[in-house]
Amino acid sequence: MDEVALVAAAQRGGEDAFAAVVRPHLDVAFRLAYVITGSAAEAEDAVQDALVKAWRALGRFRAGEPVRPWLLRIVANEARNRRRTAGRRLRLALRAAHEPPPAAAEPVDRQALLEALHALPEDAQAVLACRYLLGLSEQETAATLDVAPGTVKSRTSRALERLRELYD
Amino acid sequence: MTELERALARLDVEWPATPAFDLRRPARRQAWLLALAAAAVAVGVAFAVPQSRAALLRVLHLGGVTIERVRTLPPAQERALASTLGTPVGPAEAEALLGRPFGVDAKLYRSGALVSALLPGPVVLTELRTGIGPAVLKKVVATSTDVRPVRVRGAPGVWIAGEQHAVFAPPLPPRLAGNVLVWVRGPITYRLEGKELTLERAQQLAAGVRDR
Repeated sequence: MDEVALVAAAQRGGEDAFAAVVRPHLDVAFRLAYVITGSAAEAEDAVQDALVKAWRALGRFRAGEPVRPWLLRIVANEARNRRRTAGRRLRLALRAAHEPPPAAAEPVDRQALLEALHALPEDAQAVLACRYLLGLSEQETAATLDVAPGTVKSRTSRALERLRELYD
Repeated sequence: MTELERALARLDVEWPATPAFDLRRPARRQAWLLALAAAAVAVGVAFAVPQSRAALLRVLHLGGVTIERVRTLPPAQERALASTLGTPVGPAEAEALLGRPFGVDAKLYRSGALVSALLPGPVVLTELRTGIGPAVLKKVVATSTDVRPVRVRGAPGVWIAGEQHAVFAPPLPPRLAGNVLVWVRGPITYRLEGKELTLERAQQLAAGVRDR
Protein backbone atom coordinates (compact mmCIF):
# COMPACT_ATOMS: atom_id res chain seq x y z
CA MET A 1 0.00 0.00 0.00
CA ASP A 2 1.48 3.39 -0.92
CA GLU A 3 1.56 6.44 1.33
CA VAL A 4 -1.58 8.00 -0.15
CA ALA A 5 -3.59 4.84 0.46
CA LEU A 6 -2.15 4.47 3.96
CA VAL A 7 -3.06 8.06 4.83
CA ALA A 8 -6.61 7.47 3.57
CA ALA A 9 -6.84 4.32 5.70
CA ALA A 10 -5.48 6.19 8.72
CA GLN A 11 -8.02 8.97 8.16
CA ARG A 12 -10.74 6.33 8.39
CA GLY A 13 -9.45 5.48 11.86
CA GLY A 14 -6.90 2.77 11.05
CA GLU A 15 -4.32 2.65 13.81
CA ASP A 16 -2.09 0.24 11.89
CA ALA A 17 -2.23 2.50 8.85
CA PHE A 18 -1.29 5.51 10.97
CA ALA A 19 1.67 3.58 12.38
CA ALA A 20 2.75 2.62 8.86
CA VAL A 21 2.47 6.23 7.70
CA VAL A 22 4.64 7.74 10.45
CA ARG A 23 7.09 4.90 11.13
CA PRO A 24 9.48 5.68 8.21
CA HIS A 25 9.91 9.23 9.50
CA LEU A 26 10.54 8.58 13.18
CA ASP A 27 14.34 8.68 13.01
CA VAL A 28 14.46 12.07 11.35
CA ALA A 29 11.60 13.32 13.54
CA PHE A 30 13.42 12.33 16.72
CA ARG A 31 16.70 13.84 15.52
CA LEU A 32 14.95 17.05 14.57
CA ALA A 33 13.38 17.23 18.03
CA TYR A 34 16.79 16.52 19.55
CA VAL A 35 18.36 19.34 17.55
CA ILE A 36 15.66 21.74 18.74
CA THR A 37 15.39 20.69 22.38
CA GLY A 38 19.00 19.64 22.97
CA SER A 39 17.79 16.73 25.12
CA ALA A 40 17.02 13.15 24.17
CA ALA A 41 14.36 12.87 26.89
CA GLU A 42 12.66 16.09 25.79
CA ALA A 43 12.90 14.99 22.17
CA GLU A 44 11.23 11.70 22.99
CA ASP A 45 8.36 13.45 24.76
CA ALA A 46 8.07 15.99 21.96
CA VAL A 47 7.79 13.32 19.29
CA GLN A 48 5.33 11.22 21.30
CA ASP A 49 3.10 14.24 21.87
CA ALA A 50 3.52 15.30 18.25
CA LEU A 51 2.25 11.87 17.19
CA VAL A 52 -0.93 12.46 19.18
CA LYS A 53 -1.33 15.86 17.53
CA ALA A 54 -0.65 14.36 14.12
CA TRP A 55 -3.36 11.78 14.72
CA ARG A 56 -5.78 14.52 15.72
CA ALA A 57 -4.85 16.63 12.69
CA LEU A 58 -5.06 13.75 10.25
CA GLY A 59 -8.56 14.69 9.16
CA ARG A 60 -7.26 17.99 7.83
CA PHE A 61 -4.33 16.43 5.97
CA ARG A 62 -4.68 17.03 2.24
CA ALA A 63 -4.70 13.88 0.17
CA GLY A 64 -1.63 13.47 -2.01
CA GLU A 65 0.61 15.77 0.02
CA PRO A 66 3.86 14.23 1.34
CA VAL A 67 3.65 13.15 4.97
CA ARG A 68 7.23 13.88 6.02
CA PRO A 69 7.20 17.72 5.94
CA TRP A 70 3.75 17.76 7.55
CA LEU A 71 4.87 15.49 10.37
CA LEU A 72 8.17 17.30 10.83
CA ARG A 73 6.36 20.62 11.12
CA ILE A 74 4.24 19.22 13.94
CA VAL A 75 7.29 17.73 15.65
CA ALA A 76 9.25 20.99 15.31
CA ASN A 77 6.37 23.01 16.78
CA GLU A 78 6.07 20.65 19.71
CA ALA A 79 9.83 20.66 20.30
CA ARG A 80 10.01 24.47 20.05
CA ASN A 81 7.16 24.83 22.54
CA ARG A 82 8.96 22.58 24.98
CA ARG A 83 12.19 24.52 24.56
CA ARG A 84 10.39 27.84 25.11
CA THR A 85 8.57 26.48 28.16
CA ALA A 86 11.92 25.44 29.58
CA GLY A 87 13.26 28.93 28.84
CA ARG A 88 16.13 27.62 26.76
CA ARG A 89 17.64 28.83 23.52
CA LEU A 90 18.50 26.48 20.69
CA ARG A 91 21.99 25.21 21.38
CA LEU A 92 23.30 22.32 19.39
CA ALA A 93 25.11 19.75 21.49
CA LEU A 94 26.21 17.30 18.84
CA ARG A 95 29.32 15.17 18.75
CA ALA A 96 31.06 13.53 15.85
CA ALA A 97 30.85 9.76 15.77
CA HIS A 98 34.02 8.09 17.04
CA GLU A 99 35.03 6.59 13.73
CA PRO A 100 35.05 8.72 10.57
CA PRO A 101 32.79 7.42 7.81
CA PRO A 102 34.58 5.39 5.10
CA ALA A 103 33.73 7.96 2.45
CA ALA A 104 35.54 10.74 4.28
CA ALA A 105 38.75 10.80 2.31
CA GLU A 106 39.40 14.52 2.75
CA PRO A 107 41.06 15.66 5.96
CA VAL A 108 38.16 17.39 7.71
CA ASP A 109 38.47 18.14 11.39
CA ARG A 110 34.94 17.07 12.19
CA GLN A 111 35.03 18.13 15.81
CA ALA A 112 36.30 21.58 14.87
CA LEU A 113 33.58 21.87 12.25
CA LEU A 114 30.96 20.91 14.83
CA GLU A 115 32.36 23.41 17.29
CA ALA A 116 32.15 26.12 14.63
CA LEU A 117 28.56 25.06 13.96
CA HIS A 118 27.76 25.26 17.69
CA ALA A 119 29.15 28.80 17.77
CA LEU A 120 26.75 30.09 15.10
CA PRO A 121 23.64 32.14 15.93
CA GLU A 122 20.48 30.17 16.66
CA ASP A 123 18.85 30.67 13.24
CA ALA A 124 22.03 29.66 11.45
CA GLN A 125 22.46 26.51 13.53
CA ALA A 126 18.87 25.50 12.89
CA VAL A 127 18.96 25.95 9.14
CA LEU A 128 22.30 24.17 8.69
CA ALA A 129 21.26 21.32 10.97
CA CYS A 130 18.07 20.82 8.99
CA ARG A 131 19.71 21.04 5.58
CA TYR A 132 22.96 19.14 6.11
CA LEU A 133 22.78 17.08 9.30
CA LEU A 134 19.19 15.92 8.86
CA GLY A 135 19.24 16.03 5.06
CA LEU A 136 15.96 17.95 4.75
CA SER A 137 15.09 19.61 1.47
CA GLU A 138 14.61 23.38 1.28
CA GLN A 139 10.85 22.89 1.30
CA GLU A 140 10.99 20.59 4.30
CA THR A 141 13.32 22.97 6.12
CA ALA A 142 10.97 25.85 5.37
CA ALA A 143 8.02 23.90 6.77
CA THR A 144 10.02 22.80 9.79
CA LEU A 145 11.32 26.27 10.63
CA ASP A 146 8.03 27.90 9.67
CA VAL A 147 9.64 30.31 7.23
CA ALA A 148 9.42 30.87 3.46
CA PRO A 149 11.61 28.72 1.19
CA GLY A 150 13.40 31.88 0.06
CA THR A 151 14.30 32.59 3.67
CA VAL A 152 15.81 29.12 3.98
CA LYS A 153 17.95 29.83 0.94
CA SER A 154 19.22 33.18 2.19
CA ARG A 155 19.73 31.96 5.77
CA THR A 156 21.64 28.94 4.51
CA SER A 157 23.90 31.10 2.41
CA ARG A 158 24.65 33.49 5.27
CA ALA A 159 25.11 30.65 7.74
CA LEU A 160 27.61 28.87 5.47
CA GLU A 161 29.53 32.09 5.03
CA ARG A 162 29.74 32.59 8.80
CA LEU A 163 30.62 28.95 9.36
CA ARG A 164 33.45 29.18 6.86
CA GLU A 165 34.88 32.17 8.74
CA LEU A 166 34.70 30.33 12.03
CA TYR A 167 36.06 27.06 10.68
CA ASP A 168 38.91 28.49 8.64
CA MET B 1 27.70 21.84 -3.39
CA THR B 2 30.80 23.44 -1.95
CA GLU B 3 33.52 21.64 -0.04
CA LEU B 4 32.16 22.99 3.23
CA GLU B 5 28.63 21.78 2.46
CA ARG B 6 29.97 18.34 1.62
CA ALA B 7 31.92 18.28 4.88
CA LEU B 8 28.77 19.21 6.79
CA ALA B 9 26.71 16.55 5.06
CA ARG B 10 29.36 13.95 5.94
CA LEU B 11 29.76 14.99 9.54
CA ASP B 12 28.41 11.68 10.81
CA VAL B 13 26.98 13.06 14.01
CA GLU B 14 26.58 10.80 17.01
CA TRP B 15 22.78 10.85 17.40
CA PRO B 16 21.04 9.36 20.42
CA ALA B 17 19.21 6.16 19.55
CA THR B 18 15.65 6.70 18.40
CA PRO B 19 13.33 5.43 21.16
CA ALA B 20 10.56 2.94 20.47
CA PHE B 21 7.51 5.16 20.15
CA ASP B 22 4.05 3.90 20.92
CA LEU B 23 2.43 4.26 17.52
CA ARG B 24 -0.96 2.92 18.51
CA ARG B 25 -1.32 5.02 21.60
CA PRO B 26 -2.00 8.32 19.76
CA ALA B 27 -5.36 7.03 18.61
CA ARG B 28 -6.19 5.65 22.02
CA ARG B 29 -5.00 8.72 23.86
CA GLN B 30 -7.17 10.81 21.58
CA ALA B 31 -10.16 8.64 22.42
CA TRP B 32 -9.40 9.13 26.10
CA LEU B 33 -9.15 12.86 25.71
CA LEU B 34 -12.57 13.02 24.11
CA ALA B 35 -14.09 10.89 26.85
CA LEU B 36 -12.38 12.86 29.55
CA ALA B 37 -13.37 16.21 28.12
CA ALA B 38 -16.96 15.10 28.46
CA ALA B 39 -16.26 14.08 32.01
CA ALA B 40 -15.20 17.59 33.03
CA VAL B 41 -11.78 16.84 34.40
CA ALA B 42 -10.88 18.30 37.78
CA VAL B 43 -7.45 19.85 37.79
CA GLY B 44 -7.35 22.46 40.52
CA VAL B 45 -4.85 20.90 42.84
CA ALA B 46 -2.08 20.89 40.27
CA PHE B 47 -1.80 24.60 40.75
CA ALA B 48 -1.80 24.41 44.53
CA VAL B 49 1.78 23.16 44.48
CA PRO B 50 3.65 26.08 42.91
CA GLN B 51 7.11 24.98 44.01
CA SER B 52 6.88 21.93 41.80
CA ARG B 53 5.52 23.58 38.67
CA ALA B 54 8.92 24.58 37.35
CA ALA B 55 9.96 20.96 37.45
CA LEU B 56 6.86 19.71 35.71
CA LEU B 57 7.62 17.40 32.82
CA ARG B 58 4.31 16.02 31.74
CA VAL B 59 0.74 16.10 32.93
CA LEU B 60 -1.86 13.47 32.31
CA HIS B 61 -5.44 13.99 33.39
CA LEU B 62 -7.58 10.97 33.89
CA GLY B 63 -10.98 11.63 35.37
CA GLY B 64 -10.51 13.34 38.71
CA VAL B 65 -6.85 12.39 38.85
CA THR B 66 -3.98 14.50 37.63
CA ILE B 67 -0.71 12.69 37.08
CA GLU B 68 2.44 14.74 36.79
CA ARG B 69 5.92 13.69 35.94
CA VAL B 70 8.46 15.75 37.86
CA ARG B 71 12.22 15.66 38.13
CA THR B 72 12.17 15.82 41.92
CA LEU B 73 9.51 14.45 44.18
CA PRO B 74 8.04 17.14 46.47
CA PRO B 75 8.23 16.57 50.24
CA ALA B 76 5.74 13.92 51.35
CA GLN B 77 5.19 11.72 54.36
CA GLU B 78 4.83 7.96 54.49
CA ARG B 79 1.58 7.17 56.30
CA ALA B 80 -0.42 4.01 56.86
CA LEU B 81 -3.23 3.64 54.36
CA ALA B 82 -5.81 3.37 57.11
CA SER B 83 -4.84 6.80 58.41
CA THR B 84 -5.55 8.42 55.05
CA LEU B 85 -9.19 7.47 54.75
CA GLY B 86 -10.85 10.39 56.53
CA THR B 87 -13.95 10.15 58.68
CA PRO B 88 -16.54 7.33 58.67
CA VAL B 89 -19.57 7.91 56.47
CA GLY B 90 -22.77 5.96 55.88
CA PRO B 91 -23.77 4.43 52.54
CA ALA B 92 -26.50 7.03 51.97
CA GLU B 93 -24.14 9.97 52.45
CA ALA B 94 -21.58 8.30 50.19
CA GLU B 95 -24.24 7.80 47.53
CA ALA B 96 -25.23 11.45 47.81
CA LEU B 97 -21.61 12.46 47.26
CA LEU B 98 -21.01 10.12 44.34
CA GLY B 99 -24.43 10.23 42.74
CA ARG B 100 -24.57 6.43 42.92
CA PRO B 101 -23.86 3.67 45.46
CA PHE B 102 -20.24 2.95 46.35
CA GLY B 103 -18.74 0.09 44.35
CA VAL B 104 -18.25 -2.43 47.16
CA ASP B 105 -20.03 -3.24 50.40
CA ALA B 106 -17.62 -2.13 53.11
CA LYS B 107 -17.15 0.41 55.85
CA LEU B 108 -16.87 3.74 54.10
CA TYR B 109 -14.86 6.87 54.85
CA ARG B 110 -14.98 10.36 53.46
CA SER B 111 -12.21 12.91 52.92
CA GLY B 112 -13.44 15.94 51.03
CA ALA B 113 -15.12 14.65 47.88
CA LEU B 114 -13.31 11.30 48.10
CA VAL B 115 -15.12 8.23 49.39
CA SER B 116 -12.91 5.28 50.33
CA ALA B 117 -13.01 1.79 51.72
CA LEU B 118 -10.18 -0.30 53.14
CA LEU B 119 -9.99 -3.72 51.47
CA PRO B 120 -7.82 -6.71 52.44
CA GLY B 121 -4.21 -6.38 51.40
CA PRO B 122 -4.39 -3.67 52.59
CA VAL B 123 -5.72 -1.91 49.53
CA VAL B 124 -7.77 1.27 49.49
CA LEU B 125 -10.54 1.73 46.97
CA THR B 126 -11.39 5.38 46.44
CA GLU B 127 -14.17 6.83 44.33
CA LEU B 128 -14.58 10.40 43.19
CA ARG B 129 -17.30 11.97 41.14
CA THR B 130 -15.41 13.44 38.24
CA GLY B 131 -15.64 17.19 37.82
CA ILE B 132 -16.59 18.12 41.38
CA GLY B 133 -14.47 18.77 44.42
CA PRO B 134 -10.71 18.54 44.54
CA ALA B 135 -8.71 16.37 42.19
CA VAL B 136 -6.41 13.68 43.46
CA LEU B 137 -2.98 14.68 42.30
CA LYS B 138 -0.30 12.13 41.59
CA LYS B 139 3.27 13.30 41.29
CA VAL B 140 5.73 10.77 40.03
CA VAL B 141 9.49 10.66 39.59
CA ALA B 142 10.22 10.95 35.91
CA THR B 143 12.98 8.45 35.52
CA SER B 144 11.83 5.33 37.25
CA THR B 145 8.12 5.30 37.97
CA ASP B 146 6.11 3.18 35.61
CA VAL B 147 3.03 5.03 34.36
CA ARG B 148 1.26 2.79 31.95
CA PRO B 149 -2.05 3.21 30.13
CA VAL B 150 -4.24 0.17 30.73
CA ARG B 151 -7.81 -0.95 30.17
CA VAL B 152 -9.97 -1.91 33.12
CA ARG B 153 -12.79 -4.02 31.68
CA GLY B 154 -12.77 -1.77 28.63
CA ALA B 155 -12.57 1.52 30.53
CA PRO B 156 -9.52 3.80 30.21
CA GLY B 157 -7.11 3.52 33.10
CA VAL B 158 -3.56 4.14 34.25
CA TRP B 159 -1.28 1.86 36.27
CA ILE B 160 1.31 3.71 38.37
CA ALA B 161 3.95 1.54 39.97
CA GLY B 162 7.61 1.23 40.82
CA GLU B 163 9.59 3.95 42.50
CA GLN B 164 8.05 6.23 45.06
CA HIS B 165 5.47 8.73 44.06
CA ALA B 166 3.35 11.11 46.08
CA VAL B 167 -0.34 11.72 46.27
CA PHE B 168 -2.06 14.98 47.11
CA ALA B 169 -5.60 14.54 48.31
CA PRO B 170 -6.71 17.74 50.02
CA PRO B 171 -7.29 18.51 52.78
CA LEU B 172 -4.71 15.90 53.84
CA PRO B 173 -1.00 16.74 53.49
CA PRO B 174 0.99 15.04 50.69
CA ARG B 175 1.97 11.44 51.33
CA LEU B 176 4.04 8.80 49.61
CA ALA B 177 1.80 6.42 47.71
CA GLY B 178 1.87 2.73 46.89
CA ASN B 179 1.10 1.21 43.52
CA VAL B 180 -2.08 2.60 42.03
CA LEU B 181 -4.64 1.64 39.43
CA VAL B 182 -6.92 4.46 38.29
CA TRP B 183 -9.79 4.08 35.90
CA VAL B 184 -12.78 6.07 34.80
CA ARG B 185 -16.21 4.79 34.03
CA GLY B 186 -19.11 7.14 33.49
CA PRO B 187 -19.11 9.97 36.02
CA ILE B 188 -16.88 8.21 38.55
CA THR B 189 -13.10 8.00 38.84
CA TYR B 190 -11.97 4.83 40.64
CA ARG B 191 -8.65 4.34 42.34
CA LEU B 192 -7.09 1.30 43.96
CA GLU B 193 -3.90 1.74 45.98
CA GLY B 194 -1.72 -0.68 47.87
CA LYS B 195 1.98 -0.90 48.66
CA GLU B 196 2.20 -4.51 47.48
CA LEU B 197 -0.53 -4.21 44.86
CA THR B 198 0.24 -5.79 41.49
CA LEU B 199 -1.50 -4.90 38.27
CA GLU B 200 -2.93 -8.41 38.06
CA ARG B 201 -4.37 -8.20 41.60
CA ALA B 202 -5.65 -4.68 40.96
CA GLN B 203 -7.46 -5.87 37.85
CA GLN B 204 -9.00 -8.72 39.87
CA LEU B 205 -10.18 -6.28 42.53
CA ALA B 206 -11.46 -3.86 39.90
CA ALA B 207 -13.51 -6.66 38.41
CA GLY B 208 -15.34 -6.94 41.74
CA VAL B 209 -16.21 -3.25 41.89
CA ARG B 210 -19.73 -2.30 40.83
CA ASP B 211 -18.82 0.45 38.41
CA ARG B 212 -21.59 0.18 35.84
